[in-house]
Amino acid sequence: MEKKSKPAQRTRSPDGSARDRVDSVDPYGFQRSKDFDYESYEEFMSEYLVVLTRRTIKWSKLLKGKRRVQKNVKLKRYVRKGIPNEHRALIWMAASGGQDQLEKNPGYYQSLLGAQHDPKLVETICTDLNRTFPDNVAFRKTANPCMQKALYNVLLAYGNHNPDVGYCQGMNFVAGYLLIITKDEEKSFWLMDALLGRILPDYYSPAMMGLKTDQEVLGELVKVKIPGVWQTMMDHNVMWSLVVSRWFICLYIDVLPVETVLRIWDCLFYEGSKILFRVALTLIQHQQALLQQAQSLPDVCQNFKQITQGPFVEECHTFMQKIFTEPGSLSIATLSKLRATCRSRISAEEH
Amino acid sequence: MSRKKSAKGKAVTSSPSAGSPAGKGAGKTARSSPGIVQMNGVVHPSRPSISNSSEFYDIAFKVMLVGDSGVGKTCLLVRFKDGAFLAGSFISTVGIDFRNKVLNIDGVKVKLQIWDTAGQERFRSVTHAYYRDAHALLLLYDVTNKSSFDNIKAWLTEIHEYAQQDVVLMLLGNKADATHERVVKREDGERLAKEFGVPFMETSARSGLNVELAFNGVAKELKHRSIKDPIEKFKLQEYVNKEMKTTGCCRS
Repeated sequence: MEKKSKPAQRTRSPDGSARDRVDSVDPYGFQRSKDFDYESYEEFMSEYLVVLTRRTIKWSKLLKGKRRVQKNVKLKRYVRKGIPNEHRALIWMAASGGQDQLEKNPGYYQSLLGAQHDPKLVETICTDLNRTFPDNVAFRKTANPCMQKALYNVLLAYGNHNPDVGYCQGMNFVAGYLLIITKDEEKSFWLMDALLGRILPDYYSPAMMGLKTDQEVLGELVKVKIPGVWQTMMDHNVMWSLVVSRWFICLYIDVLPVETVLRIWDCLFYEGSKILFRVALTLIQHQQALLQQAQSLPDVCQNFKQITQGPFVEECHTFMQKIFTEPGSLSIATLSKLRATCRSRISAEEH
Repeated sequence: MSRKKSAKGKAVTSSPSAGSPAGKGAGKTARSSPGIVQMNGVVHPSRPSISNSSEFYDIAFKVMLVGDSGVGKTCLLVRFKDGAFLAGSFISTVGIDFRNKVLNIDGVKVKLQIWDTAGQERFRSVTHAYYRDAHALLLLYDVTNKSSFDNIKAWLTEIHEYAQQDVVLMLLGNKADATHERVVKREDGERLAKEFGVPFMETSARSGLNVELAFNGVAKELKHRSIKDPIEKFKLQEYVNKEMKTTGCCRS
């Protein structure tokens, strides 16, 4: 809370700079960018580690070594406060129903890999292998073990499992994150199945109807909740797809910092896709003044990029608290209604 | 500051297809049309034209990069914008993105607003909405990938359907440095381009071959069109033919 005054003292400590103390590769294997702010990261982590430690103790008590969890109000509260990384795979699998599917279908994942492959599918996936997280040490061709092979397998298995979707760009990043967290192809596959089959609308199918719909739904929500920004979008004739399609398709990967994305995904697996709107609305609302300053369409685009950067999104714990308060109420009923309205409007326009 | 005023008057005054989308979009919600505020198809610097790039310019145009996934659209753009090519540092483009670059074309500051798009087919339903505001399209294929070349006809159909009729179009065979993996001959590219009456050249984002020329050529063409210089005729194909380099012995 009183963190404003601290940085100056800390960065001038006798033990050298934060740059020397903080690893240039993050805990998930991502090479930190050249302009990474080590000082403020260290500052943030010194506080966040306290949170993480507290949460880890609480989670250990809750799980007591069990591999099963019951969904209930307490667990939901725990999830919102962040799942410790060592339990992430377990909780994601349990909360999403991925674990049930895995147990009901032994050998299914392997059989998908052994099946006849559509050469077109293989080619499309291969095009993106080198272009998935080149900044992550585990995804480099030279890495051992190399995640590229695992990524290929998961995407190929999914494409065989769900030929209507096949492979859509963006799924490479999603599968990549799942592999980083679970370190297990089969679990990653079943989490993909949970996301694409149950949690998300049809974002990745060839018509991308779910994506188009949710972009419009966000527009409608902004119109009601943050009318000033909606007006700016109108004034400069900016389609929502221009500024937020990556938010939805990549589930905030490469949009927000890794730690923040994972915290969002904790809730995504537990509570569903509504969380994506809470994040979007919080980002927009928090920086509405900046967004409204835009003088042109490029300005709008630029500002939309800017609102996904900085301490507000890096301080993931505070950010996650804000997403449940700042945008106000957002009921499942409202969302379903808006989705239905937007979907039929888009269908009507397309035909 | 004065140069902006004078140039404004000179910019394109009308473009046959620009009127209708603007009219159609006027009464609808924000999703109707991107960028229709740009009157007559030209991005007028109605306010101090320093915006984000903090670079002054006289006229501005939108250029879109299109073509199959993995042909090198982002690499070409980054090579042009930053003069760099970092092998293996690119991620697949999801959705649509843009970068600006201001060029000096015969003393006129031309700002290109370059839109980079996802190449995968299913994203086209998202990206083709932006075609109609584009002044120029750079259509890319990859000389090491036969299907990206075979798909060019489909791309042209798509372009004719959604882009403005007078859009400046150029076909680029990228990755021309990859001699050993090449499967599409230069002549094949030339033949196809001729068939459709489109200027053509081979490029390499890796070596930088003809990258500047592609964007400069387009910028020149757009500038000439906008100031409607009656004396000096400009032919894009002739210009690029004269200026372009081919992959040969002197390739670095």
